[in-house]
Amino acid sequence: MKVPMQWLGQYAEIPVSAEAFQDAMIHHGTAVEGLEDQGAAVQGVVVGKILTVKDHENADHLHVLTVDVGEAEPLQIVCGAPNVEAGILVPVAKVGAVLPGGITIRKGKLRGVESCGMCCSGPELGVPEYLYPSVGDKGLLVFQEDYAPGTDVRPILGIDDTVVDFEILANRPDCLSVWGLAREAAATLNTRFEKPEIKVEAVPGRMSDFVTIEIKDTELCPRYCARVVKNIKIGPSPMWMRKALHAAGVRAINNIVDITNYVMLETGHPMHAFDLAKVKERHVVVRRAYEGEKIVTLDGKARDLTTDMLMIADQTDATGIAGVMGGEESEITEETKTVMFEIAAFERSNIRQTTRALGMRTEASGRFERGVCAATCREAADRACQLVNLLGCGEVIDDVFDCYPNPKPREAVEASVARINARIGMRIPGEEMAAILQRLHMEASLDGDTLTVVAPQDREDIETEEDLSEEVLRIYGYEHIRSTLLRGETAPGTRNPHMQLSDKVGRILVGMGLYEIRNFSFISPKLIDKLNLPADDPRRTMLKLINPLGEDTSVMRSTLVPSMLGTIALNQSRNNETAMLYEISPVFDMAGYKPGELPHERPALCIGAYGPEVDFYRVRDIVLDMLARFGVRCEIVPGAQPYHHPGRAAKLMAGDACLASVAEVHPATMAAFEIGKRTVIAEVDLELLGELRCKMGHVRALPKFPAVTRDIALVMDEATTVGSVLESIRRAGGALLESAEMFDIYRGAQLGEGRKSVAFSLAFRHAERTLSDEDVNPVMQKILAACEKNNGAVLRL
Amino acid sequence: MEMQEQLRKIQEEALAQLAQIDDKAGLDALKLRLMGKKGELTLLRRSMGQIPAEDRPKAGQMINEVVAALTAQMDALDERLKAREQEKKLAREAIDVTEPRKHTPIGMQHPISLVQDQMLGVFTSMGFDVVEGPEVEYDLYNFELMNIPKNHPARDAQDTFYIEDNVVLRTHTSPVQARTMLTRKPPIRIVCPGRVYRADEVDATHSPVFHQMEGLVVGEDVTMADLKGTLDAFAQKLFGQDVTTRFRPSFFPFTEPSAEVDLTCVNCHGKGCRVCKGTGWIEVLGAGMVNPKVLEMCGIDSRKYSGFAFGVGLERIAMLRYGITDMRALFEGDVRFLSQFRDD
Repeated sequence: MKVPMQWLGQYAEIPVSAEAFQDAMIHHGTAVEGLEDQGAAVQGVVVGKILTVKDHENADHLHVLTVDVGEAEPLQIVCGAPNVEAGILVPVAKVGAVLPGGITIRKGKLRGVESCGMCCSGPELGVPEYLYPSVGDKGLLVFQEDYAPGTDVRPILGIDDTVVDFEILANRPDCLSVWGLAREAAATLNTRFEKPEIKVEAVPGRMSDFVTIEIKDTELCPRYCARVVKNIKIGPSPMWMRKALHAAGVRAINNIVDITNYVMLETGHPMHAFDLAKVKERHVVVRRAYEGEKIVTLDGKARDLTTDMLMIADQTDATGIAGVMGGEESEITEETKTVMFEIAAFERSNIRQTTRALGMRTEASGRFERGVCAATCREAADRACQLVNLLGCGEVIDDVFDCYPNPKPREAVEASVARINARIGMRIPGEEMAAILQRLHMEASLDGDTLTVVAPQDREDIETEEDLSEEVLRIYGYEHIRSTLLRGETAPGTRNPHMQLSDKVGRILVGMGLYEIRNFSFISPKLIDKLNLPADDPRRTMLKLINPLGEDTSVMRSTLVPSMLGTIALNQSRNNETAMLYEISPVFDMAGYKPGELPHERPALCIGAYGPEVDFYRVRDIVLDMLARFGVRCEIVPGAQPYHHPGRAAKLMAGDACLASVAEVHPATMAAFEIGKRTVIAEVDLELLGELRCKMGHVRALPKFPAVTRDIALVMDEATTVGSVLESIRRAGGALLESAEMFDIYRGAQLGEGRKSVAFSLAFRHAERTLSDEDVNPVMQKILAACEKNNGAVLRL
Repeated sequence: MEMQEQLRKIQEEALAQLAQIDDKAGLDALKLRLMGKKGELTLLRRSMGQIPAEDRPKAGQMINEVVAALTAQMDALDERLKAREQEKKLAREAIDVTEPRKHTPIGMQHPISLVQDQMLGVFTSMGFDVVEGPEVEYDLYNFELMNIPKNHPARDAQDTFYIEDNVVLRTHTSPVQARTMLTRKPPIRIVCPGRVYRADEVDATHSPVFHQMEGLVVGEDVTMADLKGTLDAFAQKLFGQDVTTRFRPSFFPFTEPSAEVDLTCVNCHGKGCRVCKGTGWIEVLGAGMVNPKVLEMCGIDSRKYSGFAFGVGLERIAMLRYGITDMRALFEGDVRFLSQFRDD
């Protein structure tokens, strides 16, 4: 909220600079976005009296003026404005003057004639027409009153103030007003705050002779206050009011409208003025909308209403939406003669619902949503009438309509000085607390340890002892908060099991050269299509956002693969030669999901990698090594997802459960994600890993007896997997076989098409003696027999 | 004595030769000449039968002494030759140690993880347990129990993604606090890191998905001074001993009193710079004393227990810590960005 310092200064003493004021406000509870020094934008511009006007010899539309600017010699100025005339007073930017936009005036020649300054129009000074009426941008601004030449123009034009832009906290709607902020300023600076004395001079009359008002829903409209002004003379409001509105960022319109805006800014109460001549049958009804009712709003849109919405209506139709927007037909015009001021309080959550439902927000609705105090409606209505008196723009009727069936008196809040001190960790004496609260215009009395406090009516945020503790602390000063260490048991904290597991997984992968990425958890549903999953794949069911930012981020991902492939594509598009990436994040598993409940968030790991040194085997072994670190050994089984290369894909099985998958990405999926280089992707179910991981047992004693090694080469079909042969070897090898490793694969013409020779190195060992050939040979025979029988693999001779 | 003379001569000649010998072959030849089957010393020993028996022991001893002396000399030479050979071999084997090789450098955690890990380290050392919770959350935990009822303007501050009327993407990690208070008895000391969501369009300083860490302490006689002490300790451990906190009054529905917490600018150490807009302070945390309404709603006796809570955005910390100016870089996954981070 923007408030000029001079307006605040009418009600609160501010004996410090604007900068010091800003600083104090920030540190005692009112944030300030910034200060705007209006005067800084216009410098060196003074009142000038045009003495003589001559035509320019070399130009049709230019004049050469002599202008008295209060100096010893008049200035010669060349001017192109059509409305120059000897004797008028105009703003003159002297040499060296600064105009809005940082323009500096220099001495110069115009068509050969020297010009020592510039006569200005309103727009050139940043002064809008409504602030100081002139002839717009077609000519010079001409002063209406007599001023001595050389006088600074800024106070005359109403641009000499400093405007403070306050950021009002959600719990302080009272500060959305000059009075509220002035009270806060005075409490902060420990100076005097005083509202004006409100007295209305009124003429006798009965409300019912002008308007009848019916409040049909006092729950949604707890208070409705109306006053009537007759014999209105519409005209501009005085300079001081226009200036205040302009500084606060509000356009001046005419005296009646300006009064409503001025009172709203000053008191925080949104006001509406009805031209009673245009209110049908001079009857105003406040009611809920009817079933199926519609209203055309000022933007020309027909809007569907619901019975939860509160309307301002005439006898038959809704003319405005209560607290959101008034009716167009009863707007104030030049011809307006009789006006009704409406100052009401509406139920804030209802206004909020209405604005959400209609997608309309106005200054008024914003205020009602945050809370407008019902108790002070009458005061604001009277303030408006007082301003009518002051401006002399109409006659106020002494009768008042005020429907306020359930006034809520302010309840006293009791608080313990000791408990407040305990909470804030200070030792502020009770007397000082009471004094601080009184600075905030609260009634505060102290009895022993007990503070009894009644807050001003518009301080609806003050309900409890804790609220008072904050009031005391912030005025006392947050800078006085001490710094103490927590007492009590000091056992070190621990990380939860999931965090421990994912930390470890991350560290292992990082050690093997992978970089962690973090993607958004919502994706486009189209990305799932790119994975080519069958229609009944559970991953196709994803949790939808009701109000996503866009289609791209509209469903919660059921797999990490699409985001990973997107990141891989980005890296390839940026010509990064290689990337090995991983992401650890929950996936949103919809299996067993019931609407209204939460989905299962399953921790998952996804690896994506490409580059000259990256292939299926590299990534597979990274995953296997990582799993082995947790004591989990997996069987590698060929098997592909629809987005996998069908011949280069494996499932890593822990018993019957598929713990992980590793595969090259299918060319069709690569194309869909615009991935050019072969990419390997792996997925690991971290939830399952958490269950399968086992504590490390005891170490094995190192062997005391030597091993016997045998190397063999087996010839087999290309389709026979090395893994299955190794499995046969291991099973047949029994207890004596210590290890079996593949060390070479050979393919050649002499083996025949579709055949390969695989070389294995076997090691046998006995824990208690040295093995002899007689021990090993029968085992070797068993192994060879098993390989031939199970895998069709025969010894290469 | 003829043999003695012979022996002296052999020894002299052998020593003279030894001084000349430069390689293994020469040494072997000398050895053979002296001590081979027909070597001079071997022959001399064999000829001992020709001398009188009583002289033999002395003669034998003399031969043995010469053999021992020469052997020692030859062995020493052998050692020197071997050492020289070794040196030559090593010289031949020298490599260019600056020659680059293909290898896979170690990877790195994401900067958000790095910051989170550091912060968790600080807080666990102060006795805080780490707790996580669901990202898709009930309105009840995210808002209601945090004293943000339906249609409350405070909801505006946190533009919320909805799944259903009563289910949201959590807007902060506070629901984890609620869940913890509902299931654990005080004293409670927890931090809740995690991903949170707000309906902000993506730009250099906003993201609809970001990370937070919130802390909660509930116990007897917990004060705002303890909050300040805890955050001071946190700031110093994370950013250095010269960093302190500054509290400013603020409003959050779930705390009372509430504070915005500034840290001494980590860029200029309080002198004033571009990062802190000349103020010497940067706004980093929100904090306050837990609103007793929140405690009560979560089943904790607010007359007996008090508590404080704080929340900090990890992106903000990471951006300050690493001088990142565009938040989008954190979610993009470009390896050229990710490979710049390291432990410290």
